[in-house]
Amino acid sequence: MADNQMVCATCQPKGLCGGKGLVTFKEGAWANNPLAIQVLGICSALAVTNRLENSLVMGAALIFVCVGSNLIVSILRKHTPHRIRMVAEVAIIATFVILFDQFLRAFYWDMSKQLGPYVGLIITNCIVMGRAEAFALQNPPIVSMVDGAANGFGYAVVLAIIGFFRELLGAGEILGHAVPGFSSWYTPNQLMILAPGAFFALGIVIGIFNMIKGPDPEGNK
Amino acid sequence: MKGSAYTIGFAAVLGSACALLLTAAASFTKPYKEANQKAEEAKNILLALKVPLPDNASSSQVVEVREKNVQEKTRGELTTYEYSPPEAGGKVLATAMRFAGPGLWGPVKGFLALEPDMKTIRGMTIYEQEETPGLGGEIVAPWFRDQFVGKSIVDSAGVPGIIISMRGEPAANKVDGISGATMTCDKVQAMLNEAIKSIVEEKQ
Repeated sequence: MADNQMVCATCQPKGLCGGKGLVTFKEGAWANNPLAIQVLGICSALAVTNRLENSLVMGAALIFVCVGSNLIVSILRKHTPHRIRMVAEVAIIATFVILFDQFLRAFYWDMSKQLGPYVGLIITNCIVMGRAEAFALQNPPIVSMVDGAANGFGYAVVLAIIGFFRELLGAGEILGHAVPGFSSWYTPNQLMILAPGAFFALGIVIGIFNMIKGPDPEGNK
Repeated sequence: MKGSAYTIGFAAVLGSACALLLTAAASFTKPYKEANQKAEEAKNILLALKVPLPDNASSSQVVEVREKNVQEKTRGELTTYEYSPPEAGGKVLATAMRFAGPGLWGPVKGFLALEPDMKTIRGMTIYEQEETPGLGGEIVAPWFRDQFVGKSIVDSAGVPGIIISMRGEPAANKVDGISGATMTCDKVQAMLNEAIKSIVEEKQ
């Protein structure tokens, strides 16, 4: 698979992403965070983060889909014909997404109503397909699952941070409950609930992540 | 590179496996989903008609309350839901009807309930929609829903119709729209007016 197009930016020179277990996890969740560093999958991150609860469920959905699809893609990697590998990946990803959607519809009806079409749209989330292409196709199943979990986790944490601040500033509440000592005097700023608030919040989070992480050791901008 | 036959075979096997899994999941969750949908509909009729409902009522309780208090009637082509609790002795306290139409992303369905004068809105609820969460999705939010209570379905000149808009003077038949969701509001306004038209025609 030397002609693989989608190799992630930071590990391209080294060939593979990280090493085993913990290294892979840190790479996915922190150093190469899909949202804050690679700026992938921001469509859903902007759309569902107006409430913390929505953000948490969306994060859980992405962890489930990433782990599941990475596992299956990795198990099948030696048997998948190269020419149709992307179709196969999408079929696997779609299966996991629909499973999660059905689960929400059956057992968490209210949450399913809140998230609307965005659960289904995980199929097109570039993080999921990106990890299947860049990692699961070249690596054994267990470490692929770790990578999926790491990227899902990295996405979920950033979503939770954005959802926390958007709900706090936009609605003056956390998880639908008033915050003692805050909600009584704070006037909710509706801008934070609307789309521009999501852009501001995501931009600030990306900025902070990059400040903490420091400049790229390889000098890339 | 493996042969074409292998590629087709692989695709067929993978596709069938995925399809089987999804079919199994869909048929397993079907009864739960249907129960959820039925309860959701019942809850919205009750909410629009302002039928008292115990807090945190379970799905089966909701359906039970609906069956006890709400009677389905057909007037011409219009199906109405009349709130006549057993203790009121056949007196109709409110009438609700369905409205439906295309939203911005998918179908929107709901109930519009009127007071016995058939002019004043008692409640409006939406039980099915796929609008943008946080924007158009706000049509199900209590603040939006509650605006309709007490509004008139005719304007000051007696022309039937309701207006959902951020602009213009307050009026007896006007409620505030949702900023960032003008398209959804316009579509909801259109489907409500359709329903209002049908009930006004039916009354004559």
